[in-house]
Amino acid sequence: MQFWALFKRDVLVAWRRKANVYQPLVFQLLVVTMFPLGLGAGAQTLSKIAPAVVWILALLSTLITLENIFKDDFEDGSLGVYVLSGMSLPLAILSKTTAHWCTTGIPVILFAPVIAMLLHLPEHAYGILMLSLAIATPIFSLLGTVGSALIMNIKNGGMLLSVLIMPLLAPVLIFGAGAVLETALSNSASTHLLLLSGSLVLSLTLAPLAAAAAIRINLE
Amino acid sequence: MGSGLLSMPFFIKSKPQSSSPKSILLTTPSLQIINAQCQRSGESLFTPTSLQLNAGELAVIAGPNGSGKTTLMEAVAGLGLFTQGEFLFNNRQSHEEWLEHSHYLGHKLGNKGNLSCEENLRFICHINQVQVSTDEIESVLEQAGLGGYDYHFASDLSAGQKKRLALGRLLLLKKTYWLLDEPFVNLDQAGCDWLYQIIKNHVKQGGAVIITAHDQKKIHELAQHYITLQPFVEGVE
Repeated sequence: MQFWALFKRDVLVAWRRKANVYQPLVFQLLVVTMFPLGLGAGAQTLSKIAPAVVWILALLSTLITLENIFKDDFEDGSLGVYVLSGMSLPLAILSKTTAHWCTTGIPVILFAPVIAMLLHLPEHAYGILMLSLAIATPIFSLLGTVGSALIMNIKNGGMLLSVLIMPLLAPVLIFGAGAVLETALSNSASTHLLLLSGSLVLSLTLAPLAAAAAIRINLE
Repeated sequence: MGSGLLSMPFFIKSKPQSSSPKSILLTTPSLQIINAQCQRSGESLFTPTSLQLNAGELAVIAGPNGSGKTTLMEAVAGLGLFTQGEFLFNNRQSHEEWLEHSHYLGHKLGNKGNLSCEENLRFICHINQVQVSTDEIESVLEQAGLGGYDYHFASDLSAGQKKRLALGRLLLLKKTYWLLDEPFVNLDQAGCDWLYQIIKNHVKQGGAVIITAHDQKKIHELAQHYITLQPFVEGVE
């Protein structure tokens, strides 16, 4: 009940602030239209770089949404409300992570084919692209909560958050973009997807605990 | 910090106290803070402070600005930590039990701006595992002077109304211990009278309240405990 109460609240808050949901998608669309202009290249070059570009865009567009996961709650005091509710803190964090994934991760997954199309990614790779993002976007949200919890009481902590989180997300990018690339070249992507799934399980078990510790440190 | 870490409520799960005899049975819940001290930016704020508060009592914490009233309140609530001293609830260091029986209302009210008054109160109840009906919420909003504001966003309210909305929680959650940090700030005269009345009723019905408040003579007269925080001076004990 507590889990759903917090989840429902977070989804509602994000939904009412629609910019939160649109921002990553608009960002992706703006950047992707720059590629053909900047490269001045044809469909062939674009389709070669497409797996990497789609993935990097998904990663960066999620990154800009991470800062506020806990910052808003810390600033308006509602963090105290659920920390003191007697609810297990890692569970509360998991609830917030789920809400974050639903409001940013799912739109990114659904939007990926549009970005892929603009970059001439071979059509048979769309399925794996969405699958790999479906496995990876929860990792973005999970690791994001750790970073967000660390910087919640720092003004303009966005830069610090990126520096903290990026190295952790690099393997995810390598496996994810790798999976799409292999599929585009008509090879099997299962190794990459398995490693990606392993990363998901690892972050699912550890990230809520790490974020809970970070919140306790920051509340001092 | 070292040993100080052990005494703060936050990391304590439920450590059995070997020193407290099991034969003591308390009929009313009681809170004990013994020689507690808090720090801000590595400096101790006040001299060791003790307080014993039983159900049905009111404690006022006073002290000049910067003396650490809010820091102390947060530490008592479980949001901060004591760097020294002991915190006992019902003679145990049970943090869970304490959270179950207390509600803290600080300077940051914890209302979500883009949720309506009704949604804010409903969330607070659900996260504290309290079942609540729409009628109850409406009646509390009515009492808080926010009748008809059910579907207004909290961000559209004035500062005083936001405070009233947050205070409305106390009536819905029905916890024994209320920790109120400057609850009278921003309230108009009618609001102050209302708050005074609910605090008085709460204490009369066996609740307990710790409050920090300036210039509230009526509240000060009601209090059984009056604690003035003394600024801690390095080297002077």
